[in-house]
Amino acid sequence: MAPPAGTIRPGRYLAFFLLILVALYGLVFFTGDREARPTLGIDLSGGTTVTMTARTPDGSEPEHEQLEQAREIINERVDGMGVAGAEVVRNGNNIVITVPGEEGEQARTLGQTARLGFREVIAQVPVDSEGMQQPDEQEEGQSESSAEESDADPTDEPAGEPTEEPAGGGGSTSGAAGGAATAGDTGARQQADDSDEMLDEETRKEIAEAKEVRQNPAIGEEGPEAQQAIQAALESLDCSPGAEDPLRGNDDPELPLVACSQDREPADPNDPEAIPPSKYVLGPVILEGEHISDANSGFRQDGAGYQVTLDFDSEGTSEWAQITSDFASAPGQKQVAFVLDTQVVSAPSVNEPIPGGSTRITGDFSQSEAQDLADILQYGALPLSFEQSDARTVSPTLGLASLKAGLLAGALGFALVIGYSVLYYRLLGVLLVASLGLTAGLIYPVIVLLSRWMGYTLDLAGVAGLIIAVGVTADSFVVYFERLKDEIRGGRTVRSAVPRAWVRARRTILSADAVVFLAAGVLYVLAVGQVKGFAFTIGLTTVLDLVVVFMVTHPLLAIAGHWRILNNKTLSGLGMVQDLGAVAQRQRNARARGVAPAEGT
Amino acid sequence: MTESSTTEDEAKPAGGARRKRHGKMAQIYLGTGGFEFIETRKYWYIIGAAVMLACIVTIVFRGFTPGIEFVGGTQMQMPAAGAAGEIDPDEAGDVVSEAIDAEPSSTQLVGSGDAASVQIRMDTLTVAETDRVKSALFEEFQPLGVDGSPSEAAISDSAISASWGGEITQKAVIALVVFLVLVSVFIALYFEKWMAVAALAALVVDLTVTAGVYSMIGFEVTPATVIGLLTILGYSLYDTVVVFDKVKENTRGLLNLSRQTYGEAANLANNQTLMRSINTSLTSLLPVLGLLLIGAGLLGAGTLKDLALVQAIGITVGTASSIYIAVPVLVDLKMRDQEYRDQAARVHSRRGLARRGAGTASKEDEAPDTGDDEVLSSEVRKEKAYAAAASVPARTPKRSKSGASPSAKPAGKSSGTPTGKSSGKSSGRPSGKRGR
Repeated sequence: MAPPAGTIRPGRYLAFFLLILVALYGLVFFTGDREARPTLGIDLSGGTTVTMTARTPDGSEPEHEQLEQAREIINERVDGMGVAGAEVVRNGNNIVITVPGEEGEQARTLGQTARLGFREVIAQVPVDSEGMQQPDEQEEGQSESSAEESDADPTDEPAGEPTEEPAGGGGSTSGAAGGAATAGDTGARQQADDSDEMLDEETRKEIAEAKEVRQNPAIGEEGPEAQQAIQAALESLDCSPGAEDPLRGNDDPELPLVACSQDREPADPNDPEAIPPSKYVLGPVILEGEHISDANSGFRQDGAGYQVTLDFDSEGTSEWAQITSDFASAPGQKQVAFVLDTQVVSAPSVNEPIPGGSTRITGDFSQSEAQDLADILQYGALPLSFEQSDARTVSPTLGLASLKAGLLAGALGFALVIGYSVLYYRLLGVLLVASLGLTAGLIYPVIVLLSRWMGYTLDLAGVAGLIIAVGVTADSFVVYFERLKDEIRGGRTVRSAVPRAWVRARRTILSADAVVFLAAGVLYVLAVGQVKGFAFTIGLTTVLDLVVVFMVTHPLLAIAGHWRILNNKTLSGLGMVQDLGAVAQRQRNARARGVAPAEGT
Repeated sequence: MTESSTTEDEAKPAGGARRKRHGKMAQIYLGTGGFEFIETRKYWYIIGAAVMLACIVTIVFRGFTPGIEFVGGTQMQMPAAGAAGEIDPDEAGDVVSEAIDAEPSSTQLVGSGDAASVQIRMDTLTVAETDRVKSALFEEFQPLGVDGSPSEAAISDSAISASWGGEITQKAVIALVVFLVLVSVFIALYFEKWMAVAALAALVVDLTVTAGVYSMIGFEVTPATVIGLLTILGYSLYDTVVVFDKVKENTRGLLNLSRQTYGEAANLANNQTLMRSINTSLTSLLPVLGLLLIGAGLLGAGTLKDLALVQAIGITVGTASSIYIAVPVLVDLKMRDQEYRDQAARVHSRRGLARRGAGTASKEDEAPDTGDDEVLSSEVRKEKAYAAAASVPARTPKRSKSGASPSAKPAGKSSGTPTGKSSGKSSGRPSGKRGR
């Protein structure tokens, strides 16, 4: 039977909703990978996520293009790791690397700036030695360089080998990659008690101070002033393991520099080859890392470990040839330092010119360390330096526990709401439960499709958002139903109350949902960190809530309004208001009757 | 509890023309309760101010318990189940201090059952140190992985710089300010100026009290807490919007009548929406409680607990503030307008006259909803017209869609064409005229 003209046609809404639902599930099951599962965030499935915050020398906002460029370079580095499903996204001034699975630990080393520069070594001071040595006094035996350089041209090799002497002391205990990791980690050591506005200010000041002392132009000059400057710089520099270098990646290539060696760990007394870490006094950059055209890792010629081979572009080749020939012909042993992100990776001495446009860095690298260094050098330096803000590895065990807990919490929350609404609203509570169920049924395919098409990942905070959003959906119904009560209290029948209650409730629901959506939207756009997923799911469910309220709850109630059973007070949960409504109706009738005869007489 | 009183009352026969006396609970349920929220607002203000003061004092002098995100550090977590049975947190701490030559700042057992885990916090470690601690822990305890066999990958770790929490907070504060501005604009457009001010006042109370509770009890503040705090504002406003909607409805055309003052109309609105506020808060609170129960009970710590806790506190405070702060403040602000004061004077003088003249007058008069009755009726009519218009011209012959129709009344003759649908749907949307 057709509804009388003038009432809404609930069947249509419901049919249309069903159509949407069928279409969504059709898309889920018959397109793409047909996996009816959303991508889970690493806090639910296990993996590593590293958040790095850009840090400019003067503490100003980094430029958008620089961040994007940095993101691309880091992305290339991540791809170089060869882990499936890894992801690099920009989030405000941060770059977030996400690597699923158990192989993600490496990701922690990817954020280094990798600004390589070659500088002349003016002096080298072991960190352990208390008395500061005079510059230029260093002896072969004290230099701790772990690297040697050579003309890497293989044909030249036999001749090339003796051209330079490995700087004494042998290999450092940790290779480039390990040291790079230190560079990344040290960023994590910030003063804890800084308030956030202070932080930028403080950072800026720190950098400026460090620059003033350790990049004092006087260092490169001769005379007592230079000695003084060097002494001050050496004293200010803290090369203890884990100490943060405020200059890291931000040193000025035009100026001389006092820097630490990359290896900060105290020498292992059991290892005769190990040498203590050093402080270096360095000249200005003589060759920039951007002249490197290619970097590869491989076995060392002598088979005793791994090396990284660098190829220069044409300009770099000629400059490198010039530098090495100058150094070789200069009196005394001259060393050149590879400075990576303001830390000395190695500082071999140069005995002969290297004209081939290619050089090698050797040291106590493991294969993967050599590979990482080569990758990082190959993909180029980041245009910005980054500080590691947050690095977490979630074990699959913890992820699974979180996922289970999230599902359990969802089920519990759902059950509580269902229990309450059925107890309180009785028969109409069943409608609420149906609406909730359909909302859930609608959200699921949407999330699956979002994760399939847009790369959305559902994380723990997102799950929390979904659970909390159960309340939003239930609230819409409550508002509607309480409005219905208002109308019935005013003396209307359930049937005639429904359309009037709807008009009023609709306005309230829309404005209330708009407010929640606004909150979620602002958070999603402006907030950083893992809780973004929370805002996302809240916003999403708010929108879907509207869909369900308009297309399911209201039509269902419109249908239910015709049910006789709703006039049963025990089942409808409307008993008292119906009584009150009846009273109001009688009063109105009585008044009408009372007035009419009065006028009649 | 409301339930029981409902049934109690139902047991009695429906009263005649004379009004029945209902219990307090029933009055809340029916929205007829004569709770004087406005008359007694002075007390609510005093209570509110006292609570606010207590909160501010605690925040200033006691501060917050910052989470690891704000202090920085490394945290390791592994399942409490090891190959050799339950792992003792203290022993785990000893292993850590041996491995890195530094005392961990805290070790504890969190969660319960299968999800129980040992959580160790220490100063930020380098990658090398982290690896060392991890392998030391693994060798000593052999924590079990997902598949039940010991695995080093079962140990989770996170290294957080102290500036990270600061950045999250900074962004959250920016988001807060933007949200407040947008919401003020929204409310001012949707309702009116004073309502926006009153709603914001209630928000400030919510924020302060929620923060105060955190400070007083010493709950750990994490970035999740800060973000959770922001979403509370959405909920708190939800309640306020519901109440203000009713206030707006009750006070439409108020100035032309001398039946009741603005304060009385607002008080009535508050009473009428009381059950609604309680219900929306309860339905919001129940899932949050589920989350809190599982998050705190099973997992022990982490995002779920942080988000749920702040929401639970915030929703409770938010409901109270819309009832006891938002509406009273609105009335006070409104009464600053000369028009409303004049109108209130008229109401009082009329009542005085009525009392002198006809003795007991229509103070019992309870027909507050008539304010926008006409507007509402016209809107319902309009809606019907839309629906009728949408259903009459079936442009395309109906396609049978059996099976697609739900259990209830099937679409029947309705065409089910997309055109019909969409116009029907648009009729379901608000016209927008009243909204803005």
